[in-house]
Amino acid sequence: MTKTLEQFKLLILVGILILIGQQIGFGLNAVQSIPGMIVVLLVAQLSLIIKGALPNVKFPAFAWATMISLLLSMPFMPTANWFLSTTGQVNFLGTTTPILAFAGISVGNKLGALKKMSWKIVIIAICVFIGTFFGSAIIAQIVLKLQGII
Amino acid sequence: MANEKSITKALINAFITVLFIVVISEFIGIKKFAVGPGTVTLLPMLYAVIFGMLVTPGILGKVVAPLKKLVDNDVIEFAGSMVMIALLPLGVKYGTLVGPNIMKIIQAGPALLLQELGNIATIFVALPVALLLGMKREAIGATVSICREPTLGVIGEKYGINSPEGTGVLGTYMMGTVFGTIFFGLLGSLSLGTGLHPYALAMASGMGSGSMMTAASSSLAAAVPSGMSETVLAYAATSNMLTGVTGLYVVIFISIPLVNKLYNVLEPKIGKKGGNS
Repeated sequence: MTKTLEQFKLLILVGILILIGQQIGFGLNAVQSIPGMIVVLLVAQLSLIIKGALPNVKFPAFAWATMISLLLSMPFMPTANWFLSTTGQVNFLGTTTPILAFAGISVGNKLGALKKMSWKIVIIAICVFIGTFFGSAIIAQIVLKLQGII
Repeated sequence: MANEKSITKALINAFITVLFIVVISEFIGIKKFAVGPGTVTLLPMLYAVIFGMLVTPGILGKVVAPLKKLVDNDVIEFAGSMVMIALLPLGVKYGTLVGPNIMKIIQAGPALLLQELGNIATIFVALPVALLLGMKREAIGATVSICREPTLGVIGEKYGINSPEGTGVLGTYMMGTVFGTIFFGLLGSLSLGTGLHPYALAMASGMGSGSMMTAASSSLAAAVPSGMSETVLAYAATSNMLTGVTGLYVVIFISIPLVNKLYNVLEPKIGKKGGNS
């Protein structure tokens, strides 16, 4: 319970950052978006609770959050309209900026270790990124074509 | 007690720092540039990750004393644990994109599932390069996959994280952690220049990392005609969830045997003699 409260405190802080950010970036009134944000944060908290309750299931809390919100917003679900219009007050891109700000800070103490690595790893990592991305994209392109979706 | 106090201080300092970064990044807003055949779409998240790195003690903190006080190692540690929490509202938003499109997603199921196998293409692209550069067993770890946490775990368990293979996997992992979002934030929109369909590129964005998928798919979604962007994000999120489920098994049962086999074939031919990483 203490852990849940602690997590929710942090989620509220993230919520505040998003509300301020989306007011500046997308002109969404921060106060009017509070109800939507509360619903988003409650689903987020639920995903943390599920993750905590199922330690043996290797599914990240992020994926649980998507899964719960996916179920609530499927067309034949009675919750769909309400859930989509309420969470619509929270802008998609607005949620991404605080994440990456935290991520940027968090790698601050890894730059030293990276400098120690060989320059070769830079080239190889770029090849890995490109290989992974376009490998998948090419297969997806072929299958989507065969299925007649694109 | 002192410990608790320092955590609270780290929390407050991190919050203030991130608030500044978010405000400045959102204020700059979305910028688009035409580059060659494609468009680069710069999103606020991209500025945020760069500003985040800049304010740490290793870079600007070194020269600006008050900044070093604001962003210390406690704040860096705390920020690391906050990434997982901060990702959750985005996870919820992704769900609201997938849910209404669930029929479309199921219809595209075969493509979504099969493209998961495309991730092994990295071995064919990156392993020869690594060998030509003179890497030995490090190449196994560095090129086996895009090396997010599950791969790190598997390679660490199989070879030991201090082994050459472990050094390799850590190298790619670190590169991804530090530069992955920047790289994919640029590649997402630029990749449209290849002529591949936005939906195929969207599926490719799901590589098992929430932040890389977000960087790639958001910049892609911002660059495609607006009628397509929701589907782009929905495919990307679904593909990323699938990688979360299948990725580990692909690495264990396909990628690791394959990279070893290819290493044994290629190393005598193109590996440099006596070279090491």
